[in-house]
Amino acid sequence: MAKTTFLWSSTSTFLAAILCCGLAPAQSSSSVASKIVASANSFLNSLDDGQRSKVLFEFNDAAQRTKWSNLPTTMVPRAGLKMGDLSGPQRKAAMDLLAATLSKRGYEKVLAIVEGDEALKIASGGRGAMFGRDLFYISILGKPSVKDPWMLQFGGHHLALNITMVGLDGILTPSLTAAQPAKYTLDGKTVRPLGAENDKAFALVNALDEGQRKQAILNYKVADLVLGPGQDGKTIQPEGIKCSAMNASQQAMLLELVGEWAGIVNEQAAAARMVEIKANLSGTWFAWSGPTTNGMPAYYRIQGPTLVIEYAPQPLGGDPTMHIHTIYRDPTNDYGKKLIGH
Amino acid sequence: MRRIGLNMLLALSLIGAAEAHRLDEYLQATMIEVKPDGIDVEIHLTPGVAMLPVLMAVIDPDRDGRISPAEERAYVRRVAREVELRVDGVPAPLSFIESNFPALEAMREGLGTIAVKLRTARNGHELRFENRHLPQVSAYLVNCLAAPSDGLVVSRQKRDEAQRSIEFEYSFSAGAGPRPRPAWTALEPFWPAAIGMLLLARMSVLIYRAKRGERAAKISSQSLGT
Repeated sequence: MAKTTFLWSSTSTFLAAILCCGLAPAQSSSSVASKIVASANSFLNSLDDGQRSKVLFEFNDAAQRTKWSNLPTTMVPRAGLKMGDLSGPQRKAAMDLLAATLSKRGYEKVLAIVEGDEALKIASGGRGAMFGRDLFYISILGKPSVKDPWMLQFGGHHLALNITMVGLDGILTPSLTAAQPAKYTLDGKTVRPLGAENDKAFALVNALDEGQRKQAILNYKVADLVLGPGQDGKTIQPEGIKCSAMNASQQAMLLELVGEWAGIVNEQAAAARMVEIKANLSGTWFAWSGPTTNGMPAYYRIQGPTLVIEYAPQPLGGDPTMHIHTIYRDPTNDYGKKLIGH
Repeated sequence: MRRIGLNMLLALSLIGAAEAHRLDEYLQATMIEVKPDGIDVEIHLTPGVAMLPVLMAVIDPDRDGRISPAEERAYVRRVAREVELRVDGVPAPLSFIESNFPALEAMREGLGTIAVKLRTARNGHELRFENRHLPQVSAYLVNCLAAPSDGLVVSRQKRDEAQRSIEFEYSFSAGAGPRPRPAWTALEPFWPAAIGMLLLARMSVLIYRAKRGERAAKISSQSLGT
């Protein structure tokens, strides 16, 4: 029988770890930032001049900054360098940079999404040319630095990571994670790239009492992400149940769920982000649309003063539970605007 | 209607030919932005790959396979006709602000979005929006944008199950409210009746004058012995 992996599914340990990291000395953050910059420079040094000119953009290149999508790169072309055009060592240097920027758990999630697209390519046969691990792009805006702001982008079909580095801060918003298929087998193991996002949400909605569920569950269908690609700078009116109406255990479950997105970036940046989200918890809302039995397709949204998360099953492909789109935003700090002021 | 039906059949036969994109739905996502000086309604219309033939039957009546500027304008007018905004229970006419049509090629691949922006200067405290455009083939999203910097406070949001309609109450916190409207605009719903009464009064005056003229002429002719 295939073994199921939830990619760090024991995230209560993770949450405790990142909250502890918040107490770690500043030197630790500084060393993480230095390591990320060193990895970025190693990657850039592995490229020839022509490749470097393709991968580097001005930090203030607003068009490049917002050039991301859930759609395949053949349909919405990305700029930067394509993984399939890199040599083995260059590709390794690119992935090392990603690994240095993300947490272990976040890096594994990203790999699971990329490999899922490879699985989609194989399953699609002749129509698979628009999918696969070779069609993901990397780009760098600005000059990697521990002082000045710069940005790393990595994405393709069903993935858009926009990581703005401002000194020791790493801002992951806006980013899009998605999966199709949402469950596949790799080396004998069942992989669910967004399995924890699904299971923890169902656990939370089922932990609500009847009165709370009545508040949380919307009476209408939500066909897609509301604040997906192209919706930068927008905030919608919140709905559902306010976290101030949840008990401590339910609030902890919600924070664990949020950690699935906030914890993609490296532990130091994630810890700072979780502290901020926790501080705003009383003004955060949880809304649900769809059945509450795990295994059925359901949409949910978590929205707070500095947070928007949406999880939206897609009907395309036949089984909505096998095709998921998610978005992660901070309306006050997407692309690090709060720190940079652009 | 028959042509749309045939195109529906063609579209449905295509379902399953693609795997990664919106296929058999026309996604109509509406954002409503309530501002102190009016209300903007922005509708993003994204046809799925299999829905394009259905949509083209609507947008491209001359069947030449392209969308001309005149056809764009006609389609936008139709969309504007088939949505309704009511403010405080009274229809608020929406005027055209701008639209954008993607390349047909992008729509063929299921990633082209038609954007239509409409606006009304009307404001109040209760809003209702309904989208009646192509309900047979559409999935809907409708939301109200938050605008804390304007002091906008929204409450009692209600939608139907398909999100074709939304209604909510709104207000602006002190110092950020809608610009005061002239008192006479409060009588807006009664304008047709008022205009009708004025016309009636004017006609009565004219009839009275005509009759008085006739009578005077009669008296004058009698006094002249004619």
